[in-house]
Amino acid sequence: NVHKMPQGLGVVLEEWKCLEEEYQQLLETHRLYRLKLEEISKLQKNCSSTISSQRSKLKEVSHLVKNKGSLEEDAKTLEEINEKIKTRPNSFFEMEAFLPNKNGLYLNLVLGNVNVTLLSKQSKFSYKDEYEKFKLCLTVILLLFSFICYFFTNYRFLDAILNFLLVWYYCTLTIRESILIANGSRIKGWWVFHHYISAFLSGVMLTWPDGDLYKTFRNQFLAYSLYQNLVQCLQCYYQSGCLYRLRALGERHNMDLTVEGFQSWMWKGLTFLLPFLFFGHFWQLFNSISLFSMSRLPDCKEWQVWMCGLCFLVLFMGNFFTTVAVVRHKVKSRNRKPKSL
Amino acid sequence: FRRSTMTLTDCYPSYADETHKIYRQKLEELTNLQCTCSTAISKQRKRLKDLRYSLSKCSKTCDEKELEVITDIKSQIKEKASVFFDMEAYLPKRNGLYLNLVLGNVNVTLLSNQAKFAYKDEYEKFKLYMTIILMFGAITCLFFLNYRVTDEIFNFLLVWYYCTLTIRESILMSNGSRIKGWWVSHHYVSTFLSGVMLTWPEGPMYQMFRSQFLAFSIYQSFVQFLQYYYQSGCLYRLRTLGERNQLDLTVEGFQSWMWRGLTFLLPFLFFGHFWQLYNSVTLFRLGGREDCKEWQVFMLALTFLVLFLGNSLTTLKVVHQKFQKNQEKLL
Repeated sequence: NVHKMPQGLGVVLEEWKCLEEEYQQLLETHRLYRLKLEEISKLQKNCSSTISSQRSKLKEVSHLVKNKGSLEEDAKTLEEINEKIKTRPNSFFEMEAFLPNKNGLYLNLVLGNVNVTLLSKQSKFSYKDEYEKFKLCLTVILLLFSFICYFFTNYRFLDAILNFLLVWYYCTLTIRESILIANGSRIKGWWVFHHYISAFLSGVMLTWPDGDLYKTFRNQFLAYSLYQNLVQCLQCYYQSGCLYRLRALGERHNMDLTVEGFQSWMWKGLTFLLPFLFFGHFWQLFNSISLFSMSRLPDCKEWQVWMCGLCFLVLFMGNFFTTVAVVRHKVKSRNRKPKSL
Repeated sequence: FRRSTMTLTDCYPSYADETHKIYRQKLEELTNLQCTCSTAISKQRKRLKDLRYSLSKCSKTCDEKELEVITDIKSQIKEKASVFFDMEAYLPKRNGLYLNLVLGNVNVTLLSNQAKFAYKDEYEKFKLYMTIILMFGAITCLFFLNYRVTDEIFNFLLVWYYCTLTIRESILMSNGSRIKGWWVSHHYVSTFLSGVMLTWPEGPMYQMFRSQFLAFSIYQSFVQFLQYYYQSGCLYRLRTLGERNQLDLTVEGFQSWMWRGLTFLLPFLFFGHFWQLYNSVTLFRLGGREDCKEWQVFMLALTFLVLFLGNSLTTLKVVHQKFQKNQEKLL
């Protein structure tokens, strides 16, 4: 054993020398990396300022174009320029999705000034993928929880946990969606806003004290939760498949997301979802009406009742009218088709 | 008219597009460098670990001279660990569990010293402003409005404030800030506490505890405000003297560097901790009464106890260390 030891230490010392060399290399690579970082941040500033100066020049030119009216010889040039004025902002938007920019108010409040721009197409796409998985996972968890609360237990304590989970879920969704929007995702108005409303609704439900009125509404609310989570599961599942197909065909943008409603591209194969969605919307209206009639009872002292009623009403109107707008748009474009043929 | 349109059609494709192309290219080079650095660091780490193990085996049977060499190498390995930590503060990395749940896979590493410092500064300002807002909120609830609704809003604000603090602190830790154990955990405990307060229904028990809780909130916000105000000044001074790390933060407790000028804060802090103990005792007594049916009472008592223990033990440790140092100086 004693004869083996010096050999052992010698081998170790050799390894140590080898590691030292690699360590020095690493220090050098890291130094180069820090230099490149600085170079990149200068380039980023350069690009950002170029884009903003281009934007203001674009505004100037569009003003000029409006004022010049129509001189016949310039009509063709005018048309070309108008086209370019329309399409330039899109390319700016695309370019800015790869440059760091200041966060909006909401993200600034929650995260501060950390940059949330993902700097490669692949990472943006995997972030979006992760968002979809998160929604699906949480929806299944909420489904199981609502199921347990509805059929098996009747404690205010567990209901409170469910409501906290809902508040946290909707808040997290709003954060992730803000990040997606900062990365070039085009999610429209109502589908983001209705998460804020749902978070508020769950928060108000949380503060509703245990009492007769709460017990009266509880089962209706849990059944509605069950139904809604089931439909959202269906939606997430079928929408991702459909979006995947459409993206492969090149018909939809890479950063389009699944939402809890009906969108224009869904006519291609997801029309069966519509009746389920409308039923869910009308259930929201029913919740709203039940709550309003409860608030008129003489023994109703809780402000939560009419506040929840109001929230459900807002949710119903927003969901219903947005979906109806999509249906109308489709019906209109169908009516136009025979004429163009 | 023609001139400006010429500018538009000519400059744009060549200049902005070109710059952007170069930018995307450099970005790819940067990403490759990042990968190289990250893999090199993890490889070094693993091999150093194996090396340390072999060294321990060797040190069992070797002579004095070799032992010296081994000890020297071991201390160099320790230094390298801290060098790697600092290097990783500039490399993108996977988020921890908490940040992954809330934000997903977006990278939160700020890639320049100036950006990190600005982010830390912003965190301090956020804490200061929110503490002032919470103090006024508690004053309003205690003296002017006595409705459960305003109490709820105040509690929701507390929950949101502590959650946001935990998110921002996770981001700071990702960026190389060395915030230790209890000062982060106690924000999670405070979130839980405020959440439970939220669900406490209106009733005689609640009314009995309400004023005590709001008065405690006012005192705590006031002391936190004092702390942040004086701590930032002190930290600024120590940083320019080069004695503290750039990313050290103000915390709601006493830390070792505070002996230089902030000792006056200690009695205020201890008074706050004992108020937490008093809250805990009051709640346990309320929970023991016959007409108390709410689980929140017992849960809150427990939580206040945990807060008291964590805060006072951590602060006592700092005082104890100082005494020991003083003793050593005298000897």
